[in-house]
Amino acid sequence: MGKVAVEVVYRGIFQKNLARNICRGIVLAARKEGKIGISFGRYGDSPERNGIPAKQFAVVADSQEELEENLAMYEADNVDVTVAVDDTLCKGVESWGWYGLQPINALTRENGILLVTSMQGRGDLIQDTHQKDVPYKIGVVKGTVSFSGLWVYKDDHTDVRILGALCKVCPGLVSIEKMEEAIREQWKDELKVQSAHKSYERMETRVVEPGEGNTETPFRFDLPGWTQMEEGIVVRGIAQGKGFREGDGGYEPKRNPYFKKYSTRSMRPVVDFDTCIKCTLCWLQCPDTCFDVTPDGLYDANMQACCGCGVCEAVCPVADCITMVNEAEFTDNAGQWEMWQKDKDGYKKWMTELIQKQKAQDRSHGFHHVGQYKEEIAQMEDK
Amino acid sequence: MATTVDLPQVKGVKNIPIEEMFTSGHRTCQGCESALVMRLMIKAAGDRTIVVGSTGCMYVANTTYYTTPWVVPWMHTQLGSSGSAATGTAAGLKALMRKGKIKEEPINVIAFCGDGGGADMGLSAISASLTHPEYNHLVLLYDNESYANTDIQVSGMSPWGANSTFSPPGKARRIMNTRWKKNMVGMLAAGHPECRYLATACASYGLDMTNKVRRALTIGGPTFIHSIDPCPKGWDYDPKFSHELGMLAIETGLWVLYEIIDGELILNGPSRAIAKGMKRRKPVEEYLTRQGRFAHFTPEDTKYVQGKVDQMWERWWGPGVIPVNIKES
Amino acid sequence: MTTAEILEREQLISGSEAIAVACSLADVDVITAYPIRPYDTVMQFVSKLVADGELDCEFIVAESEHSQFEIVKHASSVGARVFCGSSGVGWFYAFEAITVTAGLRLPVVAMVGNRALDDPGAFGVEHNDALAVRDLGWMLNWVSTAQEALDTALMAWRIAEDPRVFLPCAISADGSFLTHSQVLVKVPDRSLVQKFLPPYNRGNLVLHPDNPITIAPQVNEDWLMEIRKQTDEAMRRAKGVIEEVYQEFKGVFGRGSPSPFYEEYMTEDAEIVFVGMGTLSMPVRVAVRRMREQGVKVGFVRIKWFRPFATQEIREMLSRFKGIGVIDRDYSYGSPSYGGVLFNELRSVLYPLAKRPLVLSFIAGLGGREIRAQNVFEMTDIVRKALETGKVEQENYWIGVRG
Repeated sequence: MGKVAVEVVYRGIFQKNLARNICRGIVLAARKEGKIGISFGRYGDSPERNGIPAKQFAVVADSQEELEENLAMYEADNVDVTVAVDDTLCKGVESWGWYGLQPINALTRENGILLVTSMQGRGDLIQDTHQKDVPYKIGVVKGTVSFSGLWVYKDDHTDVRILGALCKVCPGLVSIEKMEEAIREQWKDELKVQSAHKSYERMETRVVEPGEGNTETPFRFDLPGWTQMEEGIVVRGIAQGKGFREGDGGYEPKRNPYFKKYSTRSMRPVVDFDTCIKCTLCWLQCPDTCFDVTPDGLYDANMQACCGCGVCEAVCPVADCITMVNEAEFTDNAGQWEMWQKDKDGYKKWMTELIQKQKAQDRSHGFHHVGQYKEEIAQMEDK
Repeated sequence: MATTVDLPQVKGVKNIPIEEMFTSGHRTCQGCESALVMRLMIKAAGDRTIVVGSTGCMYVANTTYYTTPWVVPWMHTQLGSSGSAATGTAAGLKALMRKGKIKEEPINVIAFCGDGGGADMGLSAISASLTHPEYNHLVLLYDNESYANTDIQVSGMSPWGANSTFSPPGKARRIMNTRWKKNMVGMLAAGHPECRYLATACASYGLDMTNKVRRALTIGGPTFIHSIDPCPKGWDYDPKFSHELGMLAIETGLWVLYEIIDGELILNGPSRAIAKGMKRRKPVEEYLTRQGRFAHFTPEDTKYVQGKVDQMWERWWGPGVIPVNIKES
Repeated sequence: MTTAEILEREQLISGSEAIAVACSLADVDVITAYPIRPYDTVMQFVSKLVADGELDCEFIVAESEHSQFEIVKHASSVGARVFCGSSGVGWFYAFEAITVTAGLRLPVVAMVGNRALDDPGAFGVEHNDALAVRDLGWMLNWVSTAQEALDTALMAWRIAEDPRVFLPCAISADGSFLTHSQVLVKVPDRSLVQKFLPPYNRGNLVLHPDNPITIAPQVNEDWLMEIRKQTDEAMRRAKGVIEEVYQEFKGVFGRGSPSPFYEEYMTEDAEIVFVGMGTLSMPVRVAVRRMREQGVKVGFVRIKWFRPFATQEIREMLSRFKGIGVIDRDYSYGSPSYGGVLFNELRSVLYPLAKRPLVLSFIAGLGGREIRAQNVFEMTDIVRKALETGKVEQENYWIGVRG
């Protein structure tokens, strides 16, 4: 049958256990067909950090020798299936410094599959995803993104729904019968088996043609050699910041050019500059120094740096002044204060629409209180 | 004693310096309060500062070769070395200035460590650094209550019963970490009478933290600050609650905000209000149920923690500071 | 008094005191101390110099060796000239600090008063403490007299602080024999030292607010090999710098042996030579003289610089001999041929030769046990027998151990 490699691209920590369950699920299911496999996280992603993209792999083959064929221990050269368990990852992932922005489908081989959990349609996702020179397929496992944490797992069946879908898009991996058997054995939960099966039945893919998708060139860097690197493990510090957009007035820090961190966002803050009372709390409490100070003393979250933690929304004392909205709504990192300056009414309208949409959505961002996940899952089932 | 940098106390959040010395582009978790501590600490200290950072989250997450988020000079040091690094850096500068080998001028020296590197491995080095009154420096311990960089293991500062990869609740034993959090500032204050400034802090109280860092750097001699930092990864909560959980830690009385200046104990903010009876302590349950690392707690566990906190406030001679009860003879 | 006499005084001091005096002459800025035998006599002398105003430095008594070496490492990063030291397990307690010092390219100069490692506790000399860091980027040197200790210390700062090098240097002085015995030493005047030793200037690698840099961020597999390569190159350059500095030293102080890397004794027509490091050279030389009186063509080579190892020079020099007995005042349990550390390094150095001398390994003098002329006669007989029969029945011998 040949070797099959699957990568799961996920938001670090929030989806660590989810990714692990998927990768282990693949290997354990394939074992039931006499195959052998290996499941591992990308070493360089460790230690994982909340939200920062990471990868785990599952590689399966008929024999030990076949498994070893081209098996990189750190990261595969290419994969048959790329699973993205958060659709905002389709905009590209930057996992650490000097890595640049990697397209979500960078490792997806020709005629391979990109499988995404999302509430969006395939068309929208293709627009976000960087184009490739070769054709590949895309499939959507419909659902809200599944975030939890290290200690408490949100068992909303995302793991088994992906496993079920994998059997459909990658028949060479394992049959749905064996997958269900493995799920039953591991989880002892008939509902999970059914979820996998339903997902298998519903899964449909569409071909993405070469050149179709986001045409922007992702940023990248070339690594210098030892003769160009400074001695003494020395790196030059970041220069002192200056005025807003290098002008007079305000303040804009210089930022680390080699690690931008904006691909960590699954949500971004939208600011109502009209109702802001300039209390400074958002600017002061941002762990990532994201806020530029405008010449008129307002605070503008710089979208090149913002990683979407939501602390600014939480500390802002004015209702609806800062609202975290789904990152999937945006196609760029445009500065909001400048947008507002240009057309205040237009900005207000745009912002209000986004806020209303966000309030209607369930985009949970981790643990709030004991028993929360069970409540959320119950609500999902009610819908 | 060499003079210290002129850093006046800041009156009001609007007067907190606007310049950033620790900028964006570090690989910390969303909502990382320890990163905020770094930002506020160096913002308070200004650009005539050398920062030495020991191994831990604030090393590995922040500085990824061939990049950096630091505007001021920064150097790595070993896990248990922050005390030695502070002493060595300050001593080197002092010798060079006295001998005319470099320009004589006040330069801040700050060495930071996590709870693992500071309260466990590096305790002896910090202790020694506080016994050298001739060197001016600040050792800042950022406490996210675990060895966080190695993917969350318990340290001497981890709370009783907390989940971690070394203390998972299991079928045979639910509570694996039975140790109670060490009392760092109280211990160091009691043990180092020459040390002029020690304080606890929390980045949720940004102005208070700013002024504490400035007081530490200007008072002269070796100083120590211990900050409590909610950690979305280790504590397991939605990152947006980082600020709120810091406040809750103080409002429940689990963490006490205070400083000791030349031997005088001053409680700050909500801790002061609680001590004076102006504010009631919130029940610890409010704090514990918000974090996944305590999700396995039973009501008995919560009661136990509440009892210890009550004891700290009702029976200690100095809540969160000195765990002794003066016995009337 | 003549100018030469003014510029040099003779003093009756131990090897430890000689190094302390060197610190004073070199105007060291920061010194840290922690008590452990036998090196710490150097710190006792340093403290006296500081108290008497003859050495202006920050003298800090640390609370452990780990802190001791961390403090000087950081002082060095801001541009201070530093000195430190330890022995035995004390040196090992500082191992983490010692390791990173080399990686950080900091020119810390340290004295290792070689001492046996615990357990059991023992004060006597063995070389394993200093040898343990041989792979990590520290320059390693073994001295055999107090004069050499003083001279090498002065050269050590010069070599280590050279921007082409920027590597730490450990000077090994055998415990007790060198650290505690008082001998006549020529102590140069400070003015001569100032001529020879320029100030320590870290250039734009220095840690100071006027030069905002980040030193040693975390790396991954994309970077570490390049950084290691840089340290490798520095160590290669160090060899050339050592040669330069020895010439400069000769020029200023009028002292120095033909080679910076080793010292030959009665090797001109030798058929058998013994090779070793440190103070064992004295009893071996006494034995060599006595054997020469009997017409035995034997000599002795003392290796001075263990790192960087002068491979080419030592290979050429040793190729002249028929039989080589390597005397290791160290052990390496389970090593190839169960040989000592120096033995295995030298055998590897000789390997490319078309015609290889016979090389045998001798473990002697452990735990401070004296190596006596009698032991050397015994070793000579062993080497001779192997040469005569052409057969090596045993590659490694423990000399002077009770059965």
